[in-house]
Amino acid sequence: MSVLAIEGLVGGYASADHIVKGVSMTTDAGEMVAIIGPNGAGKSTALKLATGLLRASAGKVSVAGADVTGASPQAVLAAGLVLVPQERNVFAALSIEENLAMGAYTTPKQVRQRREAVYARLPLLAERRRALGRMLSGGQRQLLAMGIALMAEPRVLALDEPTAGLSPKAASELFASIRGLASDGVAIIMVEQNAIEALGVCDRGYVLVDGQVVREGEASAIIADEDIRRLFLGGRKGHGQARAAPPSKPPPAGATAAASPGLP
Amino acid sequence: MLSSIVQALLNGLVSGTILAVPAIGFTAIFAVLRYPNFAIGSLATIGAYAGWYANVRLGWPLEASFALAFLGAGIAAVAAEWLAVRPLEKSGALMMAICSLAVGIVLENMVRFGFGNDPRGFNVPLMRDIRFGDLRISPQQVENFAVALLLMALLWVALNFTRMGRAMRATADNPELARLKGVEPATVAAITVVVGGGLAGVGGMLVALDTAADPLTGFRLILSVFAAAVLGGLGSIPGAVVGALLIGMVEELTVLLLAPNYRTAIGFVVILIVLTIRPSGLFGEKSG
Repeated sequence: MSVLAIEGLVGGYASADHIVKGVSMTTDAGEMVAIIGPNGAGKSTALKLATGLLRASAGKVSVAGADVTGASPQAVLAAGLVLVPQERNVFAALSIEENLAMGAYTTPKQVRQRREAVYARLPLLAERRRALGRMLSGGQRQLLAMGIALMAEPRVLALDEPTAGLSPKAASELFASIRGLASDGVAIIMVEQNAIEALGVCDRGYVLVDGQVVREGEASAIIADEDIRRLFLGGRKGHGQARAAPPSKPPPAGATAAASPGLP
Repeated sequence: MLSSIVQALLNGLVSGTILAVPAIGFTAIFAVLRYPNFAIGSLATIGAYAGWYANVRLGWPLEASFALAFLGAGIAAVAAEWLAVRPLEKSGALMMAICSLAVGIVLENMVRFGFGNDPRGFNVPLMRDIRFGDLRISPQQVENFAVALLLMALLWVALNFTRMGRAMRATADNPELARLKGVEPATVAAITVVVGGGLAGVGGMLVALDTAADPLTGFRLILSVFAAAVLGGLGSIPGAVVGALLIGMVEELTVLLLAPNYRTAIGFVVILIVLTIRPSGLFGEKSG
């Protein structure tokens, strides 16, 4: 059974505003899944709907078999699904130590032990444990954001563009850290603009266009797909930015022609 | 002249420390709820009267009277917040601020209705001033100074070493992330309002102990409180303390040069200068 199962998720920022139009996805324990697609495809919105930050108007979300559809962010967190937002994902005015403590806010037992476990996994944080969030570099902030999420001992970690604004070296190091988490059994689902790099470290991928999944499968198969490469990845190896391109095939039913390439 | 300046600075240190108590309350409410609560003046008045009632009518010692001042003002603050201000949340911070002004006027007149306009003195023994050469300070000033410092120390411990204190700081810094981490915004808001209002109440009682409680006790305080918070940086608790100390000293020094009537103008002048030169205040900065 999948740790995270999303079925037919529909919703957006307003009740009538359906940015996400019936998305279904799964993630297993220890698996890394990438969600890629052009800007405005609904990738981040899908994560926000799944984690309770936005209210879904239809669909079902379950974590380890527990139905968390329409639940509050607190309830989703308690079920084991933890979102790391793309921006403002650390407490700038709190120290690293206090940031980590906030990650365990709903489960305030054995905080010290869990914090030491996070330090062991992310030693850079241990070196600067008294530093305020605002004093950290972009890469360090992303590590801290992951550390905060790990304090809740998640079953599923949902990462919204974790490498946004990072140097290639910092992004590579961050991906390695995320891979390490997956190796320990945490299910990872992440939205990424650096599509090639993300698919390079992930097991599976979903391609979202105009709020719909237009392609899913093994990450290696998606990278190898010429249509995908041409339409989203720039058509050449190592080009990291996903791009929207004019459709080459008829769009899927219900999708707008401008944003839907109509992939199989 | 030198001794007059030192005396003014000493007085300023004491009055600034007392001013810091309601200023912390004001800035804490701003930090978490994102609007300036101008009812803080009337909450100080309620605290002054609650303390006076406990001390004079009920015969309680000052320590217990401080507790009633805190509770009375804290409960009034949260009641006003939920009944009057919170329903306007969707209308924005400006509407909430204007509403808090109206709430302040209502509360002040409720006090006037209940206790009249006469000043009410506390039941404290008259004592000789303590002298250090040319400098003098009253034992009551020393006691008020100590109470204000103790309260600030307790608040510092609570904010830094308790789970709820950390949640309050986290919510002030990044409310969306705090919610994502399981912090209940309504609970944090309610506790902040009770603590902020309670601090205003104790601040009002401290001022009243130095003079007397009257319906305008808080009104006279509000401009200095606001100036202290703006000078320190709205939303910054250390800023409110430093701002209050500076305002207290500048107000006292002004008395050496100008008639005491002009003392009130200092708050306006400070707000004008800060907003012109450094709108974010001494400790204010954008969090990211």
